[in-house]
Amino acid sequence: MTEFIDGPLWYFALAVFLSGVVWRMFSIFRAGSKPDLSVPRRSAAVSAVMTSLRRFVPRHEMSPRIRLQLVAGYMFHLGLFALLLFAAPHVLFLQEHLLGFGWTPMPHWAFIVTSQIAFAGLLLLWLHRVLNPVTRLISDADDHVAAVLTFVVMLTGCLALMETFTGLRVLHRFTVELLMIYFPFSRLMHAFTFIPSRAYTGAWYGRRGVDA
Amino acid sequence: MNNNKRSLTAHQDDFFSVVKALLVIVLLLSIAPQALAAGDAEPAAKVVNPGAELWREVRQREAPVAGTTQVAGMDSGVLINIRGEQWRTFRMQQLIPAAGALLGGVLGIIVLFHLIKRGLRLELGRSGNYLLRFKEIDRVLHWFVATIFIFLALTGLILLTGRVVLIPMVGHDVFSVIASASKEGHNLFGPLFLLGVIGLFIRFVSKNFPGKGDIGWLLKAGGMFGGKHPSAGFFNAGEKIWFWLVIFIGLTLSATGLILEFPFFGQDRLIIELSLVLHGVGAVLLVAGLFGHIYMGTAGMEASLESMTSGYVDANWARQHHDQWAEACEAEGAVIAGEELAKKQRLRGTKNRVPDRPAAEEGQ
Repeated sequence: MTEFIDGPLWYFALAVFLSGVVWRMFSIFRAGSKPDLSVPRRSAAVSAVMTSLRRFVPRHEMSPRIRLQLVAGYMFHLGLFALLLFAAPHVLFLQEHLLGFGWTPMPHWAFIVTSQIAFAGLLLLWLHRVLNPVTRLISDADDHVAAVLTFVVMLTGCLALMETFTGLRVLHRFTVELLMIYFPFSRLMHAFTFIPSRAYTGAWYGRRGVDA
Repeated sequence: MNNNKRSLTAHQDDFFSVVKALLVIVLLLSIAPQALAAGDAEPAAKVVNPGAELWREVRQREAPVAGTTQVAGMDSGVLINIRGEQWRTFRMQQLIPAAGALLGGVLGIIVLFHLIKRGLRLELGRSGNYLLRFKEIDRVLHWFVATIFIFLALTGLILLTGRVVLIPMVGHDVFSVIASASKEGHNLFGPLFLLGVIGLFIRFVSKNFPGKGDIGWLLKAGGMFGGKHPSAGFFNAGEKIWFWLVIFIGLTLSATGLILEFPFFGQDRLIIELSLVLHGVGAVLLVAGLFGHIYMGTAGMEASLESMTSGYVDANWARQHHDQWAEACEAEGAVIAGEELAKKQRLRGTKNRVPDRPAAEEGQ
């Protein structure tokens, strides 16, 4: 079982993940848009960049209403990416199996604190999703599966932190592979689409002189 | 000539052999009396091994003996700390059996109570009118703490009772994996529980001070055993007691947990052992309380779970269990008709099932 998870399943998951993401992105870009013959009031490129950056901060009018989502959202996403890119076992894995080079990982205490921040953020976001009537209505099974799968991946990673038992490491890797296979077919794709989406909206409105 | 030489050499060899034998005999004769005398004075079997004496001295004291060492660190001069054995004995012979008895006993009482009473029903059925009891932030906070506490309780119980309960079931190898994972998870989520408890305190402390009707509520045991339901405000006395238990035991668990998780701030072994005892006892008490809390929030009290899911409770539920609060809400005009709430929630896009008509009108 260990050999299967470390070997064939890993390569299968990697292939599904990469080809799925490329296919999804390609299909989005290939769809294109109708040619806009109007005289541009503002540079579309500048607006695309500005909107992409502006969306990192909520509009002033919205801030009091989305404080929980804002704080928890940043806690989870920043924490997750810090863990993904700077956890010592991940850096070593990327160096040995994918990239051939590594970088300085975060110390153990930073890993613990980052994990706690990420877990708290994810849990708060999911609770908001199910307890708020609006988000509950617009959520479907995909949202819940993605949240639970991400939580399980993070949890198994932290449980295997001591790297003492092969079983725990393999369990973590197995859940990661499940997530990689699920990723391209779910809203987790927003990890790749959120910048193009913002840029497209910013360019479209910016060309018409509107701050989006 | 040659024959004479060989004969002389042979005589010399014989002579030296005799001398050697005589020397050995003399030596043995000189040692023997002393050996015999020593044997008479103290039998060999009673010779004390200095090593054994040393270890007895180290282990069988009433308190640890600190020696001298160049190794820096807390208790590094103590070879064997006898309190470790005391803690092990307390854990295996007292704490674990008591924890099992308490948790099993509470569960048994709850099951028995439910079989007899079938929980507290809504005496007047549903009114179809609603009161907002908990805002979204309160519900998120509640479920945040609940989720983390249940995870900590499960992993903590595995660590506490795993040797007794799990090893016979899954064996040593599997248990070592489960225990390692439980320890990592327990240590990871512990600090989040502290943040949650602080959040609960900030949000709910103002409603949990002793107030009018609390003594009466306690004397009537909340109306669980019949009679008129006692008067209560936003929180009744039972809920207030649970709140303060969560705060005080929760803070104790967090403080002792941090002492155990970060043992490099100068805390000595005695403090760590006390922390272990407090952590274990406190956790078991809180888990026992949690059983009761979960029961009263679900099957034990009809329609009470809604307050922590949608945030709204039926007006009849409020009048029955929190009459003072219900009267205050009615005086403020805070009662929302079912139709109005359903419309409001439909506008907000909810799938909440809120009955448009009172249960009585639906023929129930």
